[in-house]
Amino acid sequence: MPTLTVDGRVIETAEGKSILEALDDAGLLMNGVDVPHYCWHPKLSVDGSCRLCQVEVEGFPKLQIACNTVVQDGMVVNTTSDRVRKAREGVVELLLINHPLDCPICDQAGECKLQDYAFDYGVEKSRTREPRRAAKKRVDLGPTIVFDQERCILCRRCVRFCDEVPKTRELAVFGRGDRSVIETFPGMELDNPYSMNVADICPVGALTTKDFRFKIRVWFLEDVEGLCTGCANGCNIYLGIANNKVYRYQPRRNDDVNETWMCDAGRLSYRDIGAPDRLQYAYVRDATGSLEAAGYEAAIGAAARRLRAIIGSKGAGVIAGVASAHATNEDLFTFRRFIEALGTETSGVAVPKGDADDLLIKAEKAANAAGARALGLGDASLVADRIRSGGIDALVCLGSDFLGTGLLANVEELAGLDTVIVLDTHKSEFSRVAHVILPTRHAAEKHGTLTNAAGRVQRLRAAVEPAYEAHPDGAVLSHLGKALGLPGFDGSYDVRAVSKALAESEPAFSGIHLDSVGDRGRVLIDPDASQRDREPEGPNL
Amino acid sequence: MLKVPHVTSYLTEHFAEDAFGTLAGYEKKGGYAAARKALTEMAPGDVIELVKASGLQGRGGAGFNTGLKWSFMPADSDVPKYLVCNADESEPGSFKDRILLERSPHQLLEGILIAAYAVGACTTFIYIRGEYSFPADQVERAVAEAYDQGHLGPNVLGSGFRHDVVVHRGAGAYICGEETGLLESLEGKKGQPRKKPPFPAQVGAFGMPTTVNNVETFCHVPYIVNRGAEWFRGFGTEASPGTTLFGVSGHVVKPGLFELPLGTPLSEIVFEHAGGIAGGRKVKGVIPGGMSMPILPAGQLDVPMANESLRERGTMLGTGGIMVMDETTCMVRVGCVISYFFRDESCGQCTQCREGTGWLNKIMNRIERGAGQSEDLGVLLDIAAKMEGQTICAFADAAAWPVQGLLRHFRADFEEHVRLGRCPFTASFEL
Repeated sequence: MPTLTVDGRVIETAEGKSILEALDDAGLLMNGVDVPHYCWHPKLSVDGSCRLCQVEVEGFPKLQIACNTVVQDGMVVNTTSDRVRKAREGVVELLLINHPLDCPICDQAGECKLQDYAFDYGVEKSRTREPRRAAKKRVDLGPTIVFDQERCILCRRCVRFCDEVPKTRELAVFGRGDRSVIETFPGMELDNPYSMNVADICPVGALTTKDFRFKIRVWFLEDVEGLCTGCANGCNIYLGIANNKVYRYQPRRNDDVNETWMCDAGRLSYRDIGAPDRLQYAYVRDATGSLEAAGYEAAIGAAARRLRAIIGSKGAGVIAGVASAHATNEDLFTFRRFIEALGTETSGVAVPKGDADDLLIKAEKAANAAGARALGLGDASLVADRIRSGGIDALVCLGSDFLGTGLLANVEELAGLDTVIVLDTHKSEFSRVAHVILPTRHAAEKHGTLTNAAGRVQRLRAAVEPAYEAHPDGAVLSHLGKALGLPGFDGSYDVRAVSKALAESEPAFSGIHLDSVGDRGRVLIDPDASQRDREPEGPNL
Repeated sequence: MLKVPHVTSYLTEHFAEDAFGTLAGYEKKGGYAAARKALTEMAPGDVIELVKASGLQGRGGAGFNTGLKWSFMPADSDVPKYLVCNADESEPGSFKDRILLERSPHQLLEGILIAAYAVGACTTFIYIRGEYSFPADQVERAVAEAYDQGHLGPNVLGSGFRHDVVVHRGAGAYICGEETGLLESLEGKKGQPRKKPPFPAQVGAFGMPTTVNNVETFCHVPYIVNRGAEWFRGFGTEASPGTTLFGVSGHVVKPGLFELPLGTPLSEIVFEHAGGIAGGRKVKGVIPGGMSMPILPAGQLDVPMANESLRERGTMLGTGGIMVMDETTCMVRVGCVISYFFRDESCGQCTQCREGTGWLNKIMNRIERGAGQSEDLGVLLDIAAKMEGQTICAFADAAAWPVQGLLRHFRADFEEHVRLGRCPFTASFEL
């Protein structure tokens, strides 16, 4: 393993790594060792054109770009010398001579690398007296992205992204010299399932998303680590929140899951959190057959009364339970306990399906289908079959996926049931047949863990509070269990305790719980393999 | 009939005869004997050693030792190796390769064959700038003749060595003369230099090990093989052996191309071979090696035209394109023209070059317009310093050096513009 010394710090790295990669792998890049850079990105090919990452390498007369200099054993690098500083100052000054300096009206202000590095390496007063280059403003690149050519520093990250990640190749640099501009090829739009990543990787305010621009100044946002729940991939994200509202999702780097990317559909799924069709109250169907808003506790009481009556007359065997693949491992573990305590044998999980690709997007459109399977939950088709054959009188359903997975012809198939109890985040077709609807929390509003398609258990954090009374599915089941007098249900739901109980009871989850998965998650233990797949990961870089 | 000045020469010795451009005419003067000798009597390594020993420097501008460059090619390779002839002669002031292509395409092909044999290349791509339409026609005709006679193809000169030559016409960008920009363009991509490493000898044209040499460089090779390294070292200086083709343009009586030994004093070239300054005026400055090389003032023309001595004067031989300017020349105007060229031709990849070339040009224009300020001179030098040595290729250096040269030797011209608020030279015109 080659060893290099950077500013007196000794770093070991793998063969063939560049200086920047070695620093990145060691977690030191811009986190102890400052090598500012624009064109280099850890997940894109090396461009070597911004020239900002120049460092002094012993034995080389000229400064070398850290992004394209492969580490040789014993290499000695200096990133803090006057020469290096002067080179950085030169790049920053030259990038600014044609920049519009419109930070006050630029949406990138506050998270702009040109702003940051101008602060670090720029001069107070511009020396240029020449007119600045005029270029196109507000170029509509496609359905998701707006481009400001004047702000562009031509790092070409966006071009390489489209070439290398979605491989859709919409963008290129046209013209040369100081007339160079990024554009889409004639007749093309920047339109691919991952297009909005270009706004994340654009170091300046040139590429912004139509969705987020001008919504809020970024310095008002707090980034909370979370997970995208749009599909089974479990992309790591930051939720940008302010005033208890989620303004955006942005990918958070996890090389084991999503590298630094996420899909546009997942990114825009933050809109679900504060959507107008969120359930704001519990609902109970009254004696006249009308579904009316009700207090949460009254609704729990109504649900318990209905279930108790059925258990009293026909036994618990006619009750079916459908779990949601959106629910957390802790919710599902509680669901399983609830079903077991009830004493019914009819349960399963409904998993919505959709299109997949070979990058990030998975066919299972729910975040925890793998977790449900790991907890032994079978397919909800069993439930559908038994409902059709008339053996079921009551249904407790988590979420509305059961309606959308093709297991039922339509919601009317449930109209004949004596009791339908739904735990859900949003309004759905269930309102036509449900007797009790209990509001639950969105993934952004609760703690817990989710298991992605690759069996990686990852931490979910509550980033915002729901605007109305809503509880995690597990808590609602716990309340219901207590109201039913089920053994082991005391109405409490401590997600940390549930997570640890799950880890103790399930061999696949052995040692894997909310507090042990870390920032990058841990892979489920294969029950057939006696050893752990992987030790806990280091800190997220 | 081309007029060739009577000087000690070998490359251009027979240029007066049109027939020298044909295969028969070339062979009549001993052509292809060197290739026969190399391909049948010498081992490839011996050819490389011979060229190394001759001290032949690349004639494309950088002056790197040719034999050494060849030795960077992997000796054993599982993949094809390529040779590229850089005929994208685009340096303003340089027109030597054009004449070599027009008058002696077979001399070039023979040099290519020997080099290809030495480095083990299966194919040579001759990349000719798009504007060189007539030269390209001549090369294409010569290549066809050579294939016809078995001088190219599966069994070159009956030696069993296989070699193919592909003539590729460029589309007219200066940067495609930079060897990796050329390779990108050759591959059908936008002509932008590649970051190094990897170097072309490892990953070159189409991903294969590749050596790129200038037209004139190839043309010297047959003579070295025929007559030996010692003979070659009989011309020029110890560090810079051989002759070269100096192209003289500007305010001289007899502009033209002169084959002279390296180390010939610049003053001799300007005042004897090119006949001195036209109209009886005085010389003001001379650019010694194509537009990217720093200018020399009248007092320094005694310098021998070889890299080792030119470097001492802060300039370089470049491509040997000598541009002579007399006392009526406005050096700020020269700065405008030069900086415009580099601004226009910068590929735009690297920050310093893309932004710096434009900024230099804008300041030069402003000074020439009469709106310059005294701080501008310092800013010009500072921008040049920020561009120099910091980019993927040497283009930014080529854009910075002329500015440094002009301000080093003709600062007074710039100061006068600033002081007067206008251009003091009548010959200058409004921009």
